[in-house]
Amino acid sequence: MITIENLTKYYGSNRAVNNISFTINDNEILGFLGPNGAGKSTTMNMIAGYLPMTEGVVKIDGVDISQEPVKAKKNIGYLPEIPPVYPDMKVKEYLSFCAGLKQIPRGKRKDEVERVSKLLKIEDVSGKLIRNLSKGYKQRVGFAQALLGDPKFLILDEPTVGLDPNQVMEVRSIIKDLKKDHSVIFSSHILSEVSEVCSRVIIINKGDIRAIDTIEHLESTFGGSLVLHIRVKGSKTVSASVIELTKGVKEILSIDEIAADEYEFAVRLDGDADEIRTSLMSELMQNKINIVEIFTERPNLENVFIELINRPARKTSLEGLLDEIVPVDSSAESSKKEEN
Amino acid sequence: MFSIYKKELQSFFYTPFAYAITALFLFLFTYVFGSAIAGLEDTSTLVFSFTEVFYNILFYFIFLLPILTMRTFADERKFGTEVLLMTSPVSVMKIVISKFLANVTVFIFMIAGSVLFPIITAANGTVVMSQLICAYIGFFSWGVMFIALGMLISSFTESSVLAAIIGEVMMFVLLFIDDFAYTAFISQYPKLQNVLLAFAAQSRFTYFSQGFIRLSDIIFFISGTIVLLAWTYISIEKRRWNRG
Repeated sequence: MITIENLTKYYGSNRAVNNISFTINDNEILGFLGPNGAGKSTTMNMIAGYLPMTEGVVKIDGVDISQEPVKAKKNIGYLPEIPPVYPDMKVKEYLSFCAGLKQIPRGKRKDEVERVSKLLKIEDVSGKLIRNLSKGYKQRVGFAQALLGDPKFLILDEPTVGLDPNQVMEVRSIIKDLKKDHSVIFSSHILSEVSEVCSRVIIINKGDIRAIDTIEHLESTFGGSLVLHIRVKGSKTVSASVIELTKGVKEILSIDEIAADEYEFAVRLDGDADEIRTSLMSELMQNKINIVEIFTERPNLENVFIELINRPARKTSLEGLLDEIVPVDSSAESSKKEEN
Repeated sequence: MFSIYKKELQSFFYTPFAYAITALFLFLFTYVFGSAIAGLEDTSTLVFSFTEVFYNILFYFIFLLPILTMRTFADERKFGTEVLLMTSPVSVMKIVISKFLANVTVFIFMIAGSVLFPIITAANGTVVMSQLICAYIGFFSWGVMFIALGMLISSFTESSVLAAIIGEVMMFVLLFIDDFAYTAFISQYPKLQNVLLAFAAQSRFTYFSQGFIRLSDIIFFISGTIVLLAWTYISIEKRRWNRG
């Protein structure tokens, strides 16, 4: 388990990370989401022990990284934003150098290098100079380096950047497989990726944590109310009045004419979607209106993300304060209370 | 720690770098050696001193050493591989020492080639061995200290070219600091003169080249190397704290 307490980083007088606290549990993939310049890379650099923190504590399995760096770093595999590769080395040379650097016993180095090369499918370039590799391959070599020695904790800073869609899928599935016996902290600004891979996400902007939560919970809390689309065949006025009068319907957002006598209604709901849908369907059928299609539009993480990062960081009114506290989980809540 | 040493050596010897710099050194050595012979007066016995050759080569060498050390830390920063070293379970001090040892190894490789000249001379005449060995010891200690200086300068910047240029200027200043200290102007201030002379490596090299091994000179070079390496360590750590 990695524990991060009150982590703060100043660059001169410029505050990059502001008093953030969270934990990364065992066998968990934690997503780290934020726009560019949010403090993602700085935080990851501090967790990996590259940058010293201005304030705060990072504990890797109970070992403080600034007190016992060598011991703590043994359990970490880190892939920084720019893959740390030497352009004038061959892939195989580079990986065995990294294996030595991570103090993997001499006899096991070769097997370890082969294992990670196979995992990331870079065996075919193992004899090539890194200088001549494409960005995607460099990225994968960097990732392979992080996996050497099978460290318990993996810190991956935008691991899929520069890969083609096929490789992105492969890398994602590798990350998912890692979940079995590793903890992964994974940063990205690609939302669909985070929602696919991670079980929990942290949303960060301008050095502040905006939310720590599971994806489902975030979506349901922040995504706004559900929107139902119904396509019907029949009279427009009858359908409109039936829909409007059904319990749980908040408002009709739009009515589009698809064909003659065929309309699509976008309806905002207020309450349990399944229940409302059932009653809507039966109401419409009773009024002899045929339903062609019906589906709900899920609020997606994108909306959550945009909403969260655009919130003002400092609470100006009591209402705003309550708004902020309700959706975040207990650890973020306590840190926010401390701020006030 | 050994992995870093090995990797550094690979980056010198798997590329033309070590060979090119050694070739350049030997070329300069040949030039100085050749001109020493060519400059001899035509008398019945030909006498010239190897120490003089070493003395003259010092001047050229200050342009070579920064080229050897310029990449040590500057390139790590430039390629972002510093992160890899700093996040590996190896302490910063060990990283500095491994890189230092690798540079010293290449330096030994460079001066090893120059042994050829005394051997050829010995085959056709006499070489004062004690003096020659002292000159080599002096040259080696001098080089080792300046490698540490070059590494320190390399840790200041991201550009290896800039590191080389600053290194050359610094080494030039240090080589001629005693000439400067003996100028009439500085002689007016004996205290300042003493301070400047304390940094003078050239006069200490003179003792070595004349066949003297003085404890104070040895301590000067060893302590100078240690101070510069410690400073390199501090400089790297400091930059991690201030990095913006």
